[in-house]
Amino acid sequence: MKNKILPYLLLAPMILIMGVLVFYPIIATFSYSLKKWKLTAPADIRFVGLKNYAVVLTSESFWYSFRNTVFILAIVVVLTTVLGFLVSVLLNVNVKGAGILLAIAILPWALPPYVNGILWKFVFSSGYGFMNKVLIGLGLISQPVEWLGSRWSLLLLVSLVVTWRSIPFMALVCLAGRQSIPEGLYEAARIDGGNTGTIFRTITLPLMLPFLGIGITSASVTAINVFDEIIALSGYSDLGKNILVESYLTTFSFLDFGKGSAVTYLVMFFAGILGVFYLRSLNKEVEY
Amino acid sequence: MKKKVLSMFLGLSMIVSLAAGCSGGNASEDTPADAENTETAAEESSDGGSITLMVPDWAIPTEEQLAEFKEESGIEVVVNEVGWDDIRDKMVTAAAGGQAVADVVEVDWSWVGEFYAADWLEPLDVSDEVKADMPTMETFTKDGKVLAVPYANDYRLSYYNTKQYEDAGIKDEPQTWEEVYENCKTLKEKGVCDYPFALPLNAEEKTSTYLMWLAYTMNGVVFNDDGTLNRDSVLAALQYEEKLIKDELVDPADKTSSGMDAYKRILSGSANFLTGPTSFVSKSTNEEECSVIGQIMPILVPGKDAKATVTMALPEGLGVTKFSENKDAAKKFIKWYTSADMQENLNASNTAIPTLNSVLKKLIDDGTIKNAGAMMEEAELIVSPFPGGVPSYYAEMSNAMYNAINKMALGEMNAEEAYAEMETKVAELVKAE
Repeated sequence: MKNKILPYLLLAPMILIMGVLVFYPIIATFSYSLKKWKLTAPADIRFVGLKNYAVVLTSESFWYSFRNTVFILAIVVVLTTVLGFLVSVLLNVNVKGAGILLAIAILPWALPPYVNGILWKFVFSSGYGFMNKVLIGLGLISQPVEWLGSRWSLLLLVSLVVTWRSIPFMALVCLAGRQSIPEGLYEAARIDGGNTGTIFRTITLPLMLPFLGIGITSASVTAINVFDEIIALSGYSDLGKNILVESYLTTFSFLDFGKGSAVTYLVMFFAGILGVFYLRSLNKEVEY
Repeated sequence: MKKKVLSMFLGLSMIVSLAAGCSGGNASEDTPADAENTETAAEESSDGGSITLMVPDWAIPTEEQLAEFKEESGIEVVVNEVGWDDIRDKMVTAAAGGQAVADVVEVDWSWVGEFYAADWLEPLDVSDEVKADMPTMETFTKDGKVLAVPYANDYRLSYYNTKQYEDAGIKDEPQTWEEVYENCKTLKEKGVCDYPFALPLNAEEKTSTYLMWLAYTMNGVVFNDDGTLNRDSVLAALQYEEKLIKDELVDPADKTSSGMDAYKRILSGSANFLTGPTSFVSKSTNEEECSVIGQIMPILVPGKDAKATVTMALPEGLGVTKFSENKDAAKKFIKWYTSADMQENLNASNTAIPTLNSVLKKLIDDGTIKNAGAMMEEAELIVSPFPGGVPSYYAEMSNAMYNAINKMALGEMNAEEAYAEMETKVAELVKAE
């Protein structure tokens, strides 16, 4: 009997924390999303069913933000995966000072996202930014480039800034994955005549897939949830807003908690679909 | 199978919990610290009570001033310094959960409409004498109720660089917006100033308010009585901005840099003309901030055929939250903080511009406020451009306005299209109210 209760007792704190901090807000947010609830109309709070979702899904603003989100997601995931993997290869060296290299490599990950955005705004500021000064100094351009002045260049910059922040985690995960592969497998493959390409394709990549899965999932969530960098680079401009900025504006700027909660739920739904996809395709059993 | 399902469930939980960071859930979750502050302050009250004050750094009284207030009233003030941008969010999240973020809070003029509609502010008693001496009070009044008392004055005043005018051979200060435009063209053509007009065009609040006071001072009206935009006036102001952009009289960097950066160009001489905050009176005489000291002259805002007869105020005030449990003490504090004596003291300690015209006049007359130019004269022209007070949908309206202007500045649409976009949105908001 004692043995049956103990595991539940040990799990209880975590269940409580998850319940209060994760599941309760999720359920509460869903209930808000079914209400007409604008804070500036406190006398008119009522149940409206799925009307908020219908309004959001037929709004041009939401789909504009959604397309921006997908663009950022695609760029961030591809670049983070490729560059993170390459960085992990560079870090997988057994030389003096490897620890320092690792510490430098994870520095962008440690930066608060807003600071990250501000930092890059100095670089790409339209008038007196570092990049314009460098390019003018090198004689490559005569007039400053308005890096933040068009939708796609702004989104590309946001994606690069987020990628810069996401690479260290991906590199660390890949490094851990690479170092967990037994050296014996490589030795055996080499004895069997395997070349570098074959070894990478048949040993390294399959055994690292679960680790890549974690890294890609994290990069995807980061790309969907990017907020601070967008605000730092372009404020609440329509130009570069993603669905999270849309959610923030609707909820906290325009004080429409009902519609804002619906947008939030759609963000979660989108993230959930991606999560299922990644977990199904990448989180496979690995056998040595 | 069980393990696979469990691992999928846990993995999804992780993703959803990360995504839940953007949850619009009950906002009271964000404010336990603030609520705790309020409770602690109440508990500490022993004689005259204790209140909490949430304001940005520039509004914090000195320790001596607070000690003086405690001695006078017996009320202790617990200061909670919060960045201006965050105060509204904190107020919103706390009030949505029925909590007081603090007893006395900063209230920006642009928040008045929504805070009133949400019933988050306690009406204040202000004497007719004070109301008459404080024209910016009108901005904080809805349906005859005073919701906050302005403590820091900010109204639109124009500035131009006199030396650049001399260098370009322009003799007189501009009287009309058309003269400003013509003079800017002359300054550019003669190579005196490349981008003479400082104009915020980034997608932010300052861009909307600039359009409002441009239309207001140009044509005397921004909104119709029903709250919709006045087409003739606003479109004319937009076309004026478009003309400045097309003729390259505005720095291209103003399209994406912050509004304050655009304003500050006049302090370095990279802009010649600005219509902006009254704080530039002191900035233009501050060696640390201005490299063209002695060249910037504050003047009356231009109008259509002569100087404008109205100007717009954008003041900040202090209000008492509806959920406060120390309302009487909070009201006493506001009365003390906005009194004539304190306005003089706050000008000395925090460089706050007085909201009482009598105090402002005194400080200008005795030379405390230097290089005042037309500051006093302009203060007497303050009239709110909002026929029924600041509307509850102000934030959404401003968002639509600054985004349309920004798109026009970036060449995505012309003035007519930008106007059509903002007109449609404002009409929709008016209808929904």
